[in-house]
Amino acid sequence: MENFDHILLFKTDIRSEEDKQVLQPVLDKNKNIEQWNVDLDDEDYVLRIISYKLRHEQVIELVQHQGYMCTELK
Amino acid sequence: MRARDIDKENLVKQKAIEIIGKGGFESFSVNKLAKACGISVATIYIYYKDKHDLLSQLATEHGHLMGQSMLHNFDPETSFEVGLRQQWENRYRYMIDNPTISLFYEQLRTSPYQEQFLATFKADAYEPFTKFSENIVARGEIMAMPLEVYWSVAFAPLYALVKFNNEGESIGGKPFKMNDKMLWQAFDLVVKGLKK
Repeated sequence: MENFDHILLFKTDIRSEEDKQVLQPVLDKNKNIEQWNVDLDDEDYVLRIISYKLRHEQVIELVQHQGYMCTELK
Repeated sequence: MRARDIDKENLVKQKAIEIIGKGGFESFSVNKLAKACGISVATIYIYYKDKHDLLSQLATEHGHLMGQSMLHNFDPETSFEVGLRQQWENRYRYMIDNPTISLFYEQLRTSPYQEQFLATFKADAYEPFTKFSENIVARGEIMAMPLEVYWSVAFAPLYALVKFNNEGESIGGKPFKMNDKMLWQAFDLVVKGLKK
């Protein structure tokens, strides 16, 4: 069975391209993050992270540190 | 552990088509879709990177589906009447069997995803349909004419009837339900009009 535990999903308030750019350096330089994207077109502004090492709490801390709301999407 | 579930994926696609068909792309959201499916928003984001990814996969898939359904039993080497009859049959069955899909296509037409949908559709269907058009002109069955003129005469009557049928009413709100007899009656008139 295919496993999707490496896809971490969060509801955020990263609403614009500018917001995304604030987070970009932090997320880009994190070696534990393989890929990330934010769905700016949808109402939950979902942050989707591919990581085999990080846990949800670590990402939440990372994003909140930049001043954005971030909760695990269940 | 989350696992992939094909039934769930199909449900997501089906519901997405219904929601877009009813309310258009503007009001469509992953959140609404998840609610309609009775699943979590997270499940949808497991399958799709973002909303754009979902919609663009949907457009591509339906481009293929439409191409396949239109080409069912269609042979570009047949006579004009036989070939056109098969095309009418295919389009008619597809639209009548999938009323939600017709509404979805209508929304798609004015959306940013239309181009992708058409590109996929064309990749499958362009060659056989072009070959058919060339053959019937080369054999002298119909006159050479701009494609748009041909299409308007050959297919617009079919789409008008199906639209009346799917909306359940025709001109001036008159209740309407189409049947095969009407379909082939319109078809005969079209053939009569186009045949040299």
